[in-house]
Amino acid sequence: MQLRSKTKVQKTVIPTASMSDIAFLLIIFFMLTTSFSPERTSVQLPESIIRAEVTDQASIIAISEDGTIMFTSGEEPAYELAGPGELGQLTEEIIGLVAEKEFVIKADRNVPYQMVDSVLDALRSNGARNIGLLTRPEPKNAATVQ
Amino acid sequence: MKLRRLRENNEIPTSSMSDIAFLLIVFFMLTAVFTSTQGLRFKYPEDDPTNTNIQPEEAVHIRIDGEGQFVVDKVAMTLEELGGYIKSKMDQNPEKPVIIQTMPQVPYFAMIDVFDLLKQLDVQNVSIPTKTEIERWKQFGVF
Repeated sequence: MQLRSKTKVQKTVIPTASMSDIAFLLIIFFMLTTSFSPERTSVQLPESIIRAEVTDQASIIAISEDGTIMFTSGEEPAYELAGPGELGQLTEEIIGLVAEKEFVIKADRNVPYQMVDSVLDALRSNGARNIGLLTRPEPKNAATVQ
Repeated sequence: MKLRRLRENNEIPTSSMSDIAFLLIVFFMLTAVFTSTQGLRFKYPEDDPTNTNIQPEEAVHIRIDGEGQFVVDKVAMTLEELGGYIKSKMDQNPEKPVIIQTMPQVPYFAMIDVFDLLKQLDVQNVSIPTKTEIERWKQFGVF
């Protein structure tokens, strides 16, 4: 009598060798598709329902709640400005190079409007024409007026 | 003498490689900062200080006095009433310009709310005058 079955018990192996390849491919994919923004001031943006893409190559002016103005022309890291007067000069230089340059205002939702107004004034009086006001999406349950 | 050669296991242990890689993915996902790239856009017309051809009676004038306090064509309104009023004006004339004037101490989001509402109502000509322009317009008795 043969008690042992003839067929050997097979060792079950899940082939995981390619898992790491997949994972590293994913890492590389995310690294390449991530775009780095030169302006990283954290502000509480105002909400809006209508939102259009603000171009990548824009200059960014960030106004934080305490009134500091950060500026970047889109290439270098953002730096702090002394006031809207300095912004006017910078705008003039940028407009001299690229006439249709877009300027994006990234202002905290609670700043007094006069801050935004003085920035707009500096931009406008120095020839800037394309302006974007950065917003974040309205919460889903917010009542819309239509 | 019998020499038995020990069979060496010549495999590189790569099973933890995927663990490491997925840990890296999770780390980068958690540390990623999401920045908003969208917002409201508008275009200023060519700045021309000599242009005095302003027709105030043609435009709807919205003055924002505070959060939820609006004076539209000299009548106080709420945001809902403002929406209805602008809509009726747009039905008559879709080209009608709308001027948004915001008082200096009003928080920024109150102005964005109005601007967003106008965009929702498809207002084509939204004008956001700066303080210099308002001063200039005042000389011609617009405000």
